[in-house]
Amino acid sequence: MTSVKLKSVKKSFGAVDIIKGIDLTIEDGEFCVFVGPSGCGKSTLLRIISGLEEATEGTIEIDGRDVTGEEPSKRGIAMVFQSYALYPHLTVRENVGFGLSLAKLPKDVIRQKVDAAAEALQLTHLLDRKPKALSGGQRQRVAIGRAMVRDPKVFLLDEPLSNLDAALRAQMRIELTDLHRKLGATMIYVTHDQVEAMTMADKIVVLNSGRIEQVGSPMDLYNNPVSPFVAGFIGSPKMNLYDGPVAAAQGCKTYGIRPEHVVLSATNGTWKGSVRHVEHLGADTVVYLVVPEMGEIVVRVSGDFKAAHGDILWASPVAGREFRFN
Amino acid sequence: MTSRQRNTGIIAFLAAFIIFILPFVFTFFMAVKSRQEAALFLFTWPSEWHFWSNLVEVVQARNYMLLLAYFNSTIITVGAVALLVIFGAMVGYVLQRRPSGWNKLIYAGVLMGLMVPPAVVPTIWVLQGLGLFKTIHGMILIQVAYGLAFSVLLYRSFIATIPRDLDEAAIIDGAKPWAIFFKVILPLLKPVTVTLILVQSIAIFNDFTNPLYYLPGRENVTVQLTLFNFQSQFQSQFNLLFMNILLVTIPPLIVFVIFNRQIVAGMTAGAVKG
Amino acid sequence: MTAKRRSPYPYWFVLPAAVVFTVLFLVPTIASFWFSMTRWDLFQTEFIGWDNYRQFFKEPFLVQGLTNTLIYAVVTSGAKTILGLLLAVLLTSGILWQGFLRSVVFFPVLVSTIGVGITFAALMHPTKGAINIALSYVGIDGPSWLSDPTLALYSVAFIDIWKGVGLATLIYIAGLAAISPEYYEAARIDGATRSQQFWRVTVPLVQPATVTVVTLSLIGGLRSFDIIWATTKGGPGFASDVLASVIYKQYQAGFYGLATAGNVILFLLIAIIILPLTWWFNKREVDL
Repeated sequence: MTSVKLKSVKKSFGAVDIIKGIDLTIEDGEFCVFVGPSGCGKSTLLRIISGLEEATEGTIEIDGRDVTGEEPSKRGIAMVFQSYALYPHLTVRENVGFGLSLAKLPKDVIRQKVDAAAEALQLTHLLDRKPKALSGGQRQRVAIGRAMVRDPKVFLLDEPLSNLDAALRAQMRIELTDLHRKLGATMIYVTHDQVEAMTMADKIVVLNSGRIEQVGSPMDLYNNPVSPFVAGFIGSPKMNLYDGPVAAAQGCKTYGIRPEHVVLSATNGTWKGSVRHVEHLGADTVVYLVVPEMGEIVVRVSGDFKAAHGDILWASPVAGREFRFN
Repeated sequence: MTSRQRNTGIIAFLAAFIIFILPFVFTFFMAVKSRQEAALFLFTWPSEWHFWSNLVEVVQARNYMLLLAYFNSTIITVGAVALLVIFGAMVGYVLQRRPSGWNKLIYAGVLMGLMVPPAVVPTIWVLQGLGLFKTIHGMILIQVAYGLAFSVLLYRSFIATIPRDLDEAAIIDGAKPWAIFFKVILPLLKPVTVTLILVQSIAIFNDFTNPLYYLPGRENVTVQLTLFNFQSQFQSQFNLLFMNILLVTIPPLIVFVIFNRQIVAGMTAGAVKG
Repeated sequence: MTAKRRSPYPYWFVLPAAVVFTVLFLVPTIASFWFSMTRWDLFQTEFIGWDNYRQFFKEPFLVQGLTNTLIYAVVTSGAKTILGLLLAVLLTSGILWQGFLRSVVFFPVLVSTIGVGITFAALMHPTKGAINIALSYVGIDGPSWLSDPTLALYSVAFIDIWKGVGLATLIYIAGLAAISPEYYEAARIDGATRSQQFWRVTVPLVQPATVTVVTLSLIGGLRSFDIIWATTKGGPGFASDVLASVIYKQYQAGFYGLATAGNVILFLLIAIIILPLTWWFNKREVDL
């Protein structure tokens, strides 16, 4: 059973604490996503699990074994880098088989494993090319292939899709999910993109300045965010969040309502405001309403909703969908 | 191209021809003249062509000393450049990849190596103590010591352009430090290595001062020293002296014609960083 | 906490280079301070304090070696810097045969210094040399370039400039290539003339290359030996002797302590010229 356990892991660079004490268990076969804004420590945490960085304090267990002081190559992990990190002077075949040849495996075994991985990733026809001659998506697959042939217990993926264009990214999200299902391996995936987190994860770990903000399934985080930070991070467009008098009027420190949980009416409602801007996305329309007593509220309505700059509209929250944080 | 650019080019070419090309033409003419004609020193078209006879005579002079010199210079150059590539790349790699207090010390050494003139007599004293004075391998190590600073700087700045992700991917693939360096990094240094080989080969092949001090003795003669020795010996045989110059100038000319681009890259890259 | 793992960039990588460099460069350099205060024949040393240095600053021919070194370095470095920049501007202006001309200017950098010295010694021969014969056609009575004591040092400096200006040009060409053409376009829109563009855009923005050229050519000029040895051997008399040739002469004569003192003086001379210069250049670069 390949679980990954972090126990009070801390990391500081000089006087700066990057990771401020993290306890986390990732279950066998889980697709776990670390998400958070840049600088929150998610990549550092992944690198600590991989062994590329050493934790200042705390222990890491993989598969029930303490690997805190272990070499990266002995931890049973494989990693896919944001830049793919393919060796430019080696062919695809040599890239994928590099680790196996370092381990002095017999040539025919290496060949067999590389061929199998190439088959699974539809790379067979590219095996003799150098990385330079590949497209972004193909390089991405080679990087995954290189991870696969090591038969790792845990896959570590560091923003693997951020160098791809939007269309390819959507396609790779599905391919990665398929791969995870097929291999059944534990995967830890780092991203700053909440869409990737929501669409792929079994478990999302939201990190904020070196601490875990919340752990849960995607819908769990969407429905029950524990803090304004998580509430604002998960979901698009962002949740409307209000401090000060607006929140005080609701009897809390921060009051939040998601754009999709506000209804608009021309005649009556809770807040009266004037339309500042309208974005037509096709299926949906996003309305930016300026309400004098609270500032701006963003509202998502269906695509056929008609509104124009300067219109006066009423907005009301959907009952039971409001969030009050203290 | 405007007519102004064309005319400037023609004028520049004429000036360059007189200033930079004619001295080489002069060398060539002197080298093919007869002994009597060469002694006149005049910059004239050779009345008789003695290319082959002069060539043979200069090669045979002093019991084929020129061939011995070519042999010695080649061994020194190849040996020193090979070590400069390996040592320079290894130091540049650690220097670029591993920030630590030691780096200041290494930089101080590099700065000294670029700036400080070698203390020749104490160096002879050290070489004698080690039994390396007047030896080819002693000369090789001297060239390595004097060329290291440039090599380290050149490699350090090139290695800075190789993403660290590659090292880390290799670490995860289970590569030991030497395997990361020799199997991943060193192959990627090929362009800068070609440049370094060219620049250092030419410098070491053309070096006169260091063999003069550290490699005296007939059997150790290098190409530049033959030229210097022949200068006194061929006092009355200028045709042979200039044939010798011609033979010494030809290797860099060939290298330059083939590898112009890489040499230029090395000279400027190394220099701008230095 | 487990034991610290080994770095993937081990220090033993530095070791072979460090050993060679220390033994053959650092040790002699440090030892030179001691040996410069001795009378020394490689086997026996006798401590004589500052005598060697005193001699260096008292003997007229040794003092001349020192001043010649400074003159030589300043003249060659100054000329290479100015000519290098002008040639680089010319050779980046898109003129006819530009690439070929660059090669022609650069090639002397790569050839044997001794060969160049012998060739120019022949060309500069007072009566038979091509230079003076060419001058006589236009009615000029050419001087004895290498045997006139007032001229010899400058003639050698000229040969040095001829051989080395290509490197300065090359560095400047690289420096010019790094200046974005937009600066020139902006300057032209602002109405700058060609000479204003040169002084107000090119000269300030090419400064990193200038730093390199000045530093390299000054160090090279101060250490210069082989071109002088191949042409005048420091003569006539001591008229074109520089520190490096003085050191070699003292070494040949067996005055090892004195030769080493010359080495230390050369080292200190380079240090007191180059270090403040680098510091000053660095300070100016921050201001930019």
